[in-house]
Amino acid sequence: MAESGSGTADKSVQVKLVLLGEAAVGKSSIVLRFVSNEFQANKEPTIGAAFLTQKCRLEDRVLRYEIWDTAGQERFHSLAPMYYRNAQAAVVVYDVTKASSLEKAKSWVKELQRQANPNIVIALAGNKLDLVQPSASSSGATSTPESEDEADDATATPGEAAAAGDQPESLRQVPRDEAEAYAKEAGLLFFETSAKTGDGVVEIFTEIAKKIPIEHILASSRGTGRPGAAGRTGGAQEGGVNLEENAAKSKDACNC
Amino acid sequence: MSTISTQLRSFKEPTKDQLTQLSFSIPSSLTDRADKDGLEKMEINAVLSLSAEAEEDSYAGKLHLFPPFLSFASLDRKSCRFTLPLCTIRRVERLNARAGIYALSLSLWHGMKIIVQLTSLRPTADLFCSMLRDALKAELQHGQMKAVRSFVKTCYSETLVASTGPLVDEELEEKTPLEGEEGSRGTDIPYHVGLGLKFKFPGDPKKLREASKVKLWTTYLKTHGRNLTLLRYPQCTRLVQVGLPNRLRGEMWEVLSGSLYLRFSYPGMYQQILKENEGRTSTSTEDIEKDLHRSLPEYSAYQSEEGISALRRVLQAYSFKNPELGYCQAMNILAAALLIYMSEEQAFWLLEVICDRLLPGYYSTSMHGTLLDQRVFESLVQKCLPIIHDHFQVVDVQLSVASLPWFLSLFINSMPMVFACRIIDCFFCMGPKVLFQVGLAILKINGEELLKIQDDGGFIQLMRSYFSSLGNSAHPHSADPRARAITRFQELLLVSFREFAIITDDTIYNERRKYRNDIIFSIESFSKRAAVRNLSTLERFTKEQAGLVYDALYRAMCIVPPPAPVAKPAPSLIGDGSEEKPETRIGLRTFRIFLSEIATWARDEKVIINGIQQRVERDVAEHEFIDRLFYFWDVSCKGALSFQDLVSGLDGVMFNDLMENIEWFFNLHDKNKDGFLTKDEVLQLSESLLFIFRFEVGDAYLGAVSRFMTNAFEYGDALLPQPEDKRESDDVPPSDIGHNQPYLNLATFRMVVLADEILESFFETDLSACFKLEPVPMMDLPSSHNGFLGDLISNIATDDNKKLFNRFTDRIGQTIGRHQVIHRPAIGKYTKLDEPKARESLLIPSMRQSPTSPSTSSLATTARAPSPSNASTSNLSAAETLVQPPDISPLNMVKNANEALMERPQFAIDDALDDDTDDELGGEDDGVMDEVDAFLEAHDSGLTEEQRELAKGKSFSDQ
Repeated sequence: MAESGSGTADKSVQVKLVLLGEAAVGKSSIVLRFVSNEFQANKEPTIGAAFLTQKCRLEDRVLRYEIWDTAGQERFHSLAPMYYRNAQAAVVVYDVTKASSLEKAKSWVKELQRQANPNIVIALAGNKLDLVQPSASSSGATSTPESEDEADDATATPGEAAAAGDQPESLRQVPRDEAEAYAKEAGLLFFETSAKTGDGVVEIFTEIAKKIPIEHILASSRGTGRPGAAGRTGGAQEGGVNLEENAAKSKDACNC
Repeated sequence: MSTISTQLRSFKEPTKDQLTQLSFSIPSSLTDRADKDGLEKMEINAVLSLSAEAEEDSYAGKLHLFPPFLSFASLDRKSCRFTLPLCTIRRVERLNARAGIYALSLSLWHGMKIIVQLTSLRPTADLFCSMLRDALKAELQHGQMKAVRSFVKTCYSETLVASTGPLVDEELEEKTPLEGEEGSRGTDIPYHVGLGLKFKFPGDPKKLREASKVKLWTTYLKTHGRNLTLLRYPQCTRLVQVGLPNRLRGEMWEVLSGSLYLRFSYPGMYQQILKENEGRTSTSTEDIEKDLHRSLPEYSAYQSEEGISALRRVLQAYSFKNPELGYCQAMNILAAALLIYMSEEQAFWLLEVICDRLLPGYYSTSMHGTLLDQRVFESLVQKCLPIIHDHFQVVDVQLSVASLPWFLSLFINSMPMVFACRIIDCFFCMGPKVLFQVGLAILKINGEELLKIQDDGGFIQLMRSYFSSLGNSAHPHSADPRARAITRFQELLLVSFREFAIITDDTIYNERRKYRNDIIFSIESFSKRAAVRNLSTLERFTKEQAGLVYDALYRAMCIVPPPAPVAKPAPSLIGDGSEEKPETRIGLRTFRIFLSEIATWARDEKVIINGIQQRVERDVAEHEFIDRLFYFWDVSCKGALSFQDLVSGLDGVMFNDLMENIEWFFNLHDKNKDGFLTKDEVLQLSESLLFIFRFEVGDAYLGAVSRFMTNAFEYGDALLPQPEDKRESDDVPPSDIGHNQPYLNLATFRMVVLADEILESFFETDLSACFKLEPVPMMDLPSSHNGFLGDLISNIATDDNKKLFNRFTDRIGQTIGRHQVIHRPAIGKYTKLDEPKARESLLIPSMRQSPTSPSTSSLATTARAPSPSNASTSNLSAAETLVQPPDISPLNMVKNANEALMERPQFAIDDALDDDTDDELGGEDDGVMDEVDAFLEAHDSGLTEEQRELAKGKSFSDQ
């Protein structure tokens, strides 16, 4: 917080992002890959939610993602609203090798669309792509800079096609088409990723960044009045506004 | 797919007795055992002193006998206390002291003698002594006394104390830096050890001043008992607060938390559970596998198979022991931490105590305990640190985002291990309030910084950096070196226990009580939303309607919980790799209640008016028809219905038009689904109709059903290939061929139904309309301020009061002649009895005579005084005038109506009927009599009008 409040970050925009999905689909690994470009096979399980931050450059803007990586076990479900409230973006993760995880993902999407911030940008990510891809294709996919959703498609499909019939592909339980069609229908960004190889991970975050109404957040956080009228991305606005108010207020508070 | 749990509603506040017992860490399973032996509990005022030359003070307090335990707490409830298993008492002597003093000397296993002076009145003291004697005898008989010797050997403290003073020092000097050596000594250690002995304990032993801590504890344990016989004097608490020595830690956790008593009382159970469940998998074991490698992965033992498999065994054993809870993330971290300091068996029992008593509901499937304590914590912050609380409100920061893991993993996940362990030391010693005290202290210490944060993220980061600085000096710039030496962690404990000493067990207890209902409510509404959202299809319902179905289901489940709680994966799971996700399914009994909420004919509703009040009494109806519906909806043939089954089932009838309804009703009774009803099924179908119509006003429906039967059999017979078959039924009623053979097909059934105006309109609209989705009056959750138990009692009380009041007003109503009971009809369409006419086309001319049955005409003419409630005998005086006999089984009704309708004995079925089922369908006279009464009541005023037309339709005006 301190840094975003200081002068250097006048162009950085805070975006609250939440990761949801069934247990052990690799939510934490995706975050870890994005935040520190690492893959750890042994990741501490998330109690409630882990909190991480990462900056993401987009054109001349810097987005500062505040990432809430939630616990996947079913019984933690009732805690999730605490984390996704006021979120501007959500990544719902499933495991391409586990059909039931897509069902769970769908139910998360439903919940988000009903309960969360109405303008939330939701991305659907099918993780563990490495398990269904021959190892060769992964390198190609990572390096490709993708500007569009469709581009992602184009790069990934050949690899997959090549893999078809191979041993690994048989592990796949969620066909890309099926998930993508669902994502399209539900109005979600769609990716297949591998936190292990890094495939598609950064893309999730850059695509989300493009879709987020940054101008709006910026405008409201620069403005002085309460941006209540705008009604969207409430969390960031409040945070931003209060930043300004804060300078004076915190001093007062300390005195008493 | 989801589970619906009403478990939270069955929560019961512990009684005062139970609370006291809990405060002594006495497992209730053990005292229950003694309860069965008829051993009673008792408490008595007493003064405790140590007989040894020790200059310890004496403490006045209360001595409690909780067979098989004897426990004591000083008046302030914290300075001095003990919990002794009776089997550790070797000898009890009455001290021959001065007159008027009644004192016992107890010699304990470890050789100490304690003196308790009983200060209550003499007879009380005598009673106490005799009960103590009985309890001790029982323990002796159970052979527990013998078990002590071998058990204490498993405790490290024995070895520690046995090695004499200088030796201890020596051992420590040489061992502490080289703990690893211990591990190689390996197997011949008699006492239980944790992984730490082999893989080293976290922290630097020098810095932790292990040696001097051990020395202090050795002295204390020598004079104040140890393991089973530990007496907790103030010194003990002080020693715990400076941190337990690593090697003693596991045992002390056991002793302080009371899990030691479980391990002592259930020897071998841990191994047994593992053995019995070997190779078994469940959702829990799967979840456990996922987390094994991410439980304190930085600790070396958990990078080895040895540590991992120990962790696996403990977590699995617990999930098998408590399948309802199973496994919850965070327990792995907890267990991993415990295993550093204690053996698997020790950790297993300690986990049990934590989940069951210390952090109740924390790890349950709803995690209600966690949510509740977060709410309590927030409320305490509001009270103790209002400025911080207000600031959090303003910037919309939720406390729980940071504090939830503190509580859920006892700070292990938040702080460096050495510090978390010290908080855990205090937690086991002083109870769950410690978590709140430390939590408040954390916020207080960081107060100024916290007032600068603007969002959840800032809060988390501030906490993170604070926790990583706990080892730093709290006053780095102080001139005083002693002040500089105080670490931030020490400061934290100081603030926790000094400034937040006001947070007591009672505070926590009361706050939990205060918020429990809020939490239950929010969990319930959350799971309702989830259940509706997770329906695989809403069918034609809206979400709101599905919500109403859920409400009815939930209410039914509260009244009759489903037979086998699904959350309990039964032993049947053994072997089958992974089971389906558990799903709540209800049985027939619950279904009846559910249906009574929705279908008007599935309940018996009486409107009772007694001149003072008017009320509606509702009972759940029972009828074969309802059972049939249950199995009809059970499409997956599981003998139980899920929420989805109910929604789909209701959808199958609530949106139907005439033809669909006729078909639906037909299929419902066509048990073997061959497209034909048998004769029996036709009868059953008629019974179903009569059941639905049982409270309808007048005879219209009765007539309709009887016409239906006549027609059905007439046409059935006509269409039957072998004409001789139908004559069969003349002989003996419930017998032979025709009854269970295909008889009536859908087309015929439809024709017969459509022949009758009433039935047609019933199938056209009324049948579907009988299913009403209305807001269900939710079971009262007691209002919060009184606390759950208090309210429960007051609820019951008021319920009783209400009944009393009702009975009272009824009686008044009877005496002043204004009491009446009206059965609310399921359809209630014909409030005026303008008889709808049967269609002639299909019927014999005689049918045209509309029902001027003797019963109805006599009804109409009988003007009489209001009858008492609930009909029955006193009612009969009035009923005598009725021609209609009081025994009105549906079939009898048909018979009567039939006779009334037409003197037409040509259908043998009439005779067959009453032989058939007279008896089994009796017992409904009450209801019918009520109906009669109500009918008469309503006609009290308008008699003249009635008499206008006796034979034909009477107008029923129920203003």
